[in-house]
Amino acid sequence: MSDLRIPDVSRRGFLKATGVAAGLALVPGLAACAQSKTQTSSGGGTAGTLKFWDMPWAQDAYNKASEAFVAAYKPAEGLPNAALQRIQWNNFTTTFSSALASKTGPAVSSGGGFQAFQFADQGYIAMADNLISTWEKDGFRKDFLPGTLEAMKTDKGYVAVPWQTDFRVWWYRKSLFDDAGAKVPTNWDELMTAGEALKKKGYFGWGDGAGAGNNIGAHTMVFMMINNGGGLFTPDGKLDVLNERNVEAVDFIIQLVKAGISDPASVSYTTDNHLAQWKNKKFAFGIYTAGLDQALGEPSGADLLAASPLTGPHGDKAILAFGNNIMMYTNTPSQPGSEAFLSYYIKNMKTYWQQGVVTGLPVLQSIVDLPEFQKSASNVKVVKEYQPVAKTYGTRSTQLFAAMAQVDGSQPLAQFTQSVLGGQTDAKSALTTLQQGLSTIVKS
Amino acid sequence: MTTTTAPSTRGKPAVAGQRRRRFKSGTSTLFFLVLPSIVLLLLIHGFPLIQAFIQSLHNGTLVDPGPFVGLQNYIDNLTSATFWKAAGFTVVFTLVGVFGSWAVGLALALLLRTRIPAGGIFKVLLLLPWVVPIVVSSTAINWLVATSSSPIPMLFANLGLAPPLFLADPTWAKILVCVFKVWISFPFMMMMSSAALASVDETVYEAARMDGATSQQQLRWITLPMIARSTYISWILMTIFCVNDFPTIFLVTGGGPIDATNTLVVLAYRTVFQNQQVGPGVSIAFMMTVVLVFISTLLYRQIRKAAI
Repeated sequence: MSDLRIPDVSRRGFLKATGVAAGLALVPGLAACAQSKTQTSSGGGTAGTLKFWDMPWAQDAYNKASEAFVAAYKPAEGLPNAALQRIQWNNFTTTFSSALASKTGPAVSSGGGFQAFQFADQGYIAMADNLISTWEKDGFRKDFLPGTLEAMKTDKGYVAVPWQTDFRVWWYRKSLFDDAGAKVPTNWDELMTAGEALKKKGYFGWGDGAGAGNNIGAHTMVFMMINNGGGLFTPDGKLDVLNERNVEAVDFIIQLVKAGISDPASVSYTTDNHLAQWKNKKFAFGIYTAGLDQALGEPSGADLLAASPLTGPHGDKAILAFGNNIMMYTNTPSQPGSEAFLSYYIKNMKTYWQQGVVTGLPVLQSIVDLPEFQKSASNVKVVKEYQPVAKTYGTRSTQLFAAMAQVDGSQPLAQFTQSVLGGQTDAKSALTTLQQGLSTIVKS
Repeated sequence: MTTTTAPSTRGKPAVAGQRRRRFKSGTSTLFFLVLPSIVLLLLIHGFPLIQAFIQSLHNGTLVDPGPFVGLQNYIDNLTSATFWKAAGFTVVFTLVGVFGSWAVGLALALLLRTRIPAGGIFKVLLLLPWVVPIVVSSTAINWLVATSSSPIPMLFANLGLAPPLFLADPTWAKILVCVFKVWISFPFMMMMSSAALASVDETVYEAARMDGATSQQQLRWITLPMIARSTYISWILMTIFCVNDFPTIFLVTGGGPIDATNTLVVLAYRTVFQNQQVGPGVSIAFMMTVVLVFISTLLYRQIRKAAI
């Protein structure tokens, strides 16, 4: 028989035992933690494989197309192959941040529009200058639409390469305007007039949404500020929320809300609710992403149409756009490998527009010229009329910067949008609260 | 005699020494037996907890730990109107969630105790709100009330009434979220109450009836005291569920409109992941933990005081 039995153990004895065990457990744990900061991981994947992280940019068709596209990449002799990993939008900043900090992140990735600027500030980004100078030599650089590539440039160099532009576009439903006998607006005064006419028929002339996970409302607020010559930042990237143009723009939106031109329930509209109101012919006019007709399954150029950019009260015509881009990271198995893969990606990505699997608009003239792209009258109109007046969150700055990543999708901006669309505030109070909220999170 | 007494007098220290040796070898055996568990516990729970506490004392981002700020994050939160607004709604949400679901659950458990036709089927059907994934039920509630084309606003409109802005109006949104919480939680309370009621001896009620006790008196003086221990346990559990309930709020309102339905757990999430302020967000979570431990301890003391 075994002599093993549970003895009477005093409290002190037990504490002593656990104390020793705790010490034993913590020491290697802390040591491992400390080591992880100094270890130089091979990064970007195992030797011979380059990790490419991509976001779900559109419906499932895009996911399948991008998997095939990456699988078709055949690297030159001695360069690593590429493997795709899909990263969901939910908490994507956390996903990237924690992976980069633990040196398990990608070598190349798509991601948030301002992500590259944020990570460049933290030293994780490999600049694309060498790649772009190669494109200058072979003439490919000329294929980029004006302003698209330049938007990626910082004092340290090009933090990323653009691959599509995500415009915020004025959309209108023709049948509702016809029914209300209203004219499609070209400026703010006409927007108010049209809104009042539409309201009489039970339609909303300001279709918006600011519920959980729906950033269109916040983008609309910034869009209107930019459209009035304002914006959230000074030219040198400092917060400047409470300027006169912003107050005027927000005051105009509050007037629309109080006049009943905006849907009172839009404060809580998720993306699905927002799309449903367009689909159910409740929204007659409003701002949404390019490709709204495609997202609703409606034929291009039929009833749901892109309007021309509106002119603000001071003659400004700017609109909001996000330059979606692909970035390279310093933690890569091979920098020439990263550049070769990125070059392959950009030069061959036209396949997405040929297959019709993306809603973003191209940054290359050669893609704009494709017959598949030219079929969509709305898309062509957006590239032609919106691209020349497109601005980012930076607006008055000539460069993008990390603070924009902290502002986009932030709680103060979401709360500000809801308070404006709720109509229970005035412009100055709402902007003052926004300024205070953003100043606590923007570390610039 | 000497030979018999000598061993007996010497025997005591010999046995004691044996015990001490056995104790020592037993202690070390115990130590090595529990060591893997303790190591695992410390690695899984202790290390992240310590790491998180350290984060709460820094003002960093998800990548950079940032400078040490001491208790400043805690002070900032405790002096922030947003924090107290979220704390206030957390209290309301928890009180309604715990006592609302308990009242409904107990009422249904008492009802199902009586002989009603197809009682088993009712029991299964009543469990559905608890069983259905929260993503599905929150989508359903959104579909029911969100837009002017949704069924309930349409019903109001057809009746000639102005449809309430269930999700867009701060007061309505609070009511909706609390009612939704009661709806998804009452089956749990019903199960707990049913189990407790099953253990109450029927003869006690017979005796009470013979003494002329009314139904209300039986409920007040027999049923509730006899299921008190189970009730306190269910209150503790539901309090923890409500305070830590992230998906209900986040999926239905996202904490809006204008932070009206923001609870502390949603505020912590939004601070860390939307504002990228790790220190302040983690400090909110720590303060929540302290309050939860305090409440649980209070309720646990009530369990010990309970009659049965």
